[in-house]
Amino acid sequence: MDNLEALMHGFTIVLSVYHVALMLIGVLLGILVGVLPGLGAPNGVSLLLPLTFGMQPVSAIILLSSMYWGALFGGSVTSILFNIPGEPSSVATTFDGYPMARDGRPTTALATAFGSAAFGALVGVVLITLLASWVARAALAFGPPEYFAVYLLAFASFIGIGGSPPAKTLVSLAIGFAIAAIGIDTVSGSVRLTMGVDELVKGISFVIAVMGLFGIGELLLAVEEEVPVKALAARIEWGEAFRTVARLPRHGWVLLRSAAIGCWMGITPGGPTAASFMSYGIAKRFSSRRENFGRGEPEGVIAPETADHAAGTSALLPMLSLGIPGSATAAVMMGGLMIWGLNPGPMLFIEQKDFVWGLIASMYLSNIVAVILVLLTVPMFAALMRVPFFIIAPLIFIVCAVGAYAVSNSFLDVVLMMGFGVLGYLFKKLSYPIAPLVLATVIGDKAEDAFRQAMLMSKGSLGIFFSNMLVATLVTLSILLLVLPLASRLLGRRSRKTIVVE
Amino acid sequence: MISRRGLEAATATLTGAFGAAVAASSVQNGIGWSSAGVDAGTFPFMTGLIILGGSLVNLALGLRADSGVMLGRPELKKLAGLFLPAAAFVAAIPLIGVHVAAALYIFGTLALQHRVATLRALTIAAVTAVSLYVVFDRMFQVSLPLGLIGDALGL
Repeated sequence: MDNLEALMHGFTIVLSVYHVALMLIGVLLGILVGVLPGLGAPNGVSLLLPLTFGMQPVSAIILLSSMYWGALFGGSVTSILFNIPGEPSSVATTFDGYPMARDGRPTTALATAFGSAAFGALVGVVLITLLASWVARAALAFGPPEYFAVYLLAFASFIGIGGSPPAKTLVSLAIGFAIAAIGIDTVSGSVRLTMGVDELVKGISFVIAVMGLFGIGELLLAVEEEVPVKALAARIEWGEAFRTVARLPRHGWVLLRSAAIGCWMGITPGGPTAASFMSYGIAKRFSSRRENFGRGEPEGVIAPETADHAAGTSALLPMLSLGIPGSATAAVMMGGLMIWGLNPGPMLFIEQKDFVWGLIASMYLSNIVAVILVLLTVPMFAALMRVPFFIIAPLIFIVCAVGAYAVSNSFLDVVLMMGFGVLGYLFKKLSYPIAPLVLATVIGDKAEDAFRQAMLMSKGSLGIFFSNMLVATLVTLSILLLVLPLASRLLGRRSRKTIVVE
Repeated sequence: MISRRGLEAATATLTGAFGAAVAASSVQNGIGWSSAGVDAGTFPFMTGLIILGGSLVNLALGLRADSGVMLGRPELKKLAGLFLPAAAFVAAIPLIGVHVAAALYIFGTLALQHRVATLRALTIAAVTAVSLYVVFDRMFQVSLPLGLIGDALGL
C-alpha cells in the first residue's frame, strides 16, 4: 500500500497548472515529431533536452516523457492514414491499419489503435507502480559485480534475442562503448581515444549520436525511398470512435497477451519495435481469422499498438529502478537524468521520491491527455503531411544542426552529427540495429566503472562474477544468450542437412 | 551504382578501421592490471578488438551478399540532392553564422533545386531564420553562432 500512498503524493505534484501545461506541450511536440518523417521519439527528446537544463528535474522529465507518449501516438497516425510509419515501432501498424483506413474506416482504425495503445500504456504504468520500488529495493543490495552482470545481461539480450544479425548487433554495441570511452576517464583521469583532437576531451554526447543516427540517417533513408503521399480523408467521426473503443473488450485476450509481450520486451531491452512485430506475428499465428490479417483485421492493429505502448512505458521501469534503459528513448531520458544531477538507479526511490512518483503519476495523466489530444489534432497533423518532403527535410536538418550545437555550443558537434548521420543511414540500410549503440553510449561508462570496481574488489580475479548465486546466474544467463545465435545457427544447419539426407 | 555487397563491405571496413584505431589508441593508456586496478586503456582496448572482430565477420558475410544494384543512379542522385546542400549549410556556419546560413540553405533548396516560386521560398527562408532567433537566442538563451562575418560586424 506504500506504493499507492506514494502515487497519490505523486499526483499532488503533477496536478499543477504548470505541469499540466508542460504535459500538453510535450504531447503536442511529441505528436509532431511522431508524424514528421526523420524526427522520432529518440531525437525529439534529445532536441528538447538542452532546453530543460534550467528546469526542475521533475518538470523536465514530465515534459520529456509526455513527448515520448505523444511520439508513440503520432507514429500511429501516419501509419494508418498514409501507410508511412512515422516511427519504426509503428511499422507493424501499417499492415492492417492502412487497409482498414483505405477501405473507408479511418475512424475505426485510428480509434482501435489509440484505444489499444492506451490500454498497453496503462498496463505498463500499473506494472511500474507495483514493481518499480520493489525492484529498486532488491537492487539496493547490488554491488559492482551484480551491476556489471545486469548490464551484461542487457547487452547480451540484444545479441541473443534482438532479432538483428548478431555480428552487426555486436559491432553497433561496441561502437557505442568506444564512443562512451572518448574523453576523460573518470577513474584514472587520463584522456582516452581523442585521436589528437583537443575538443574531444569533453567526450561525445549521446545527444549528438542520437540526432545524427536517428535524425539525419532517417532523412537520408526517407529521401531515397521517397513515396508519393496519398492522403486518406482524415475526419474523425466521434460516434464511431466511441463505439470502436467500446467494442475493444471483445478482443480482451489479444489485448492482454500483447500487453504482456510489450512489457516483457520493454523491461528486457528488446524495445517497442521488436515488441510490436513479435506481438503482430503471434496474433496472426493464433488468430482464427488468419487470412484476414493484412486486409484490415482489427486484431492486426490491436496487437502491435498495445505491445508498442506497453513496451515504451515499461522501458522506464529498469531505467528508474536499475539505471538501465529499456529503449533508445529511455536511454536518452536517462542521459538527461544524469545531466540534471540525478543518479538513475535504486537510490532514486529513496533520495528523489518526489521525482520518481511525480513521473509515475504523470504517466497515467499524460497518456490520457495524449489520447484526447491525438484524436482532436488528427486532421491538423494529417494536413501537415501534405507539405512536400523537400520543404520539410531541410527544416528538420536545420533543427537537428542547431540542436546539436546547443548541447555544448560546439561547432565540432554539428560536424560529428553529420558523420553519425551517414553512419545511421548505412546502418539502417544494412539492418544494423541502432538502439544498442545509443544504449551503450549512455551507460557505457557505468558498465565500465562497475567492471573496474568489481575487479578492484577481487584484486583482478574474474572469479568474482561467479562468487554468489545471483551474479553467477546473471552471468551464465548472459553467456547463454550470447551463444544462442551461434548455437541455433549450427543446429539449423544440421537440421537442414538431415532434411537433405531424408 | 552500388551493390549490396559493395555497401556491406564498405561499412564493415569503415567500422573495422574504427575498431583498429580504438584498440591502437587505447594501448597508450595502458592495458591490463596495475596496482591502481584495471588500467584505463583496457576496456576500450577490448571494445576495439570486439569491433574489429565483428567487422571482419560482417565483411566475410557481406562479401557473400547479393551483387545486384542496391543504390542505382536515381537513388544516389536523390541522396546527394539532400546531403550536399546540407553539408554546404554546415560548412557555411563558421563563416556566416547559423541564421544566414539557414536562410540561404532553405532558399537555395526550395527556389533553385525544387523550383518553388521565388517569393514563397524567400518567405519560408526568412521565417526560418527569424524563428531560430526567437526560439533559441531569445526564448531559451542559447546564443547561436553568428560566424566570422557576424562577429566582425559586432552584432
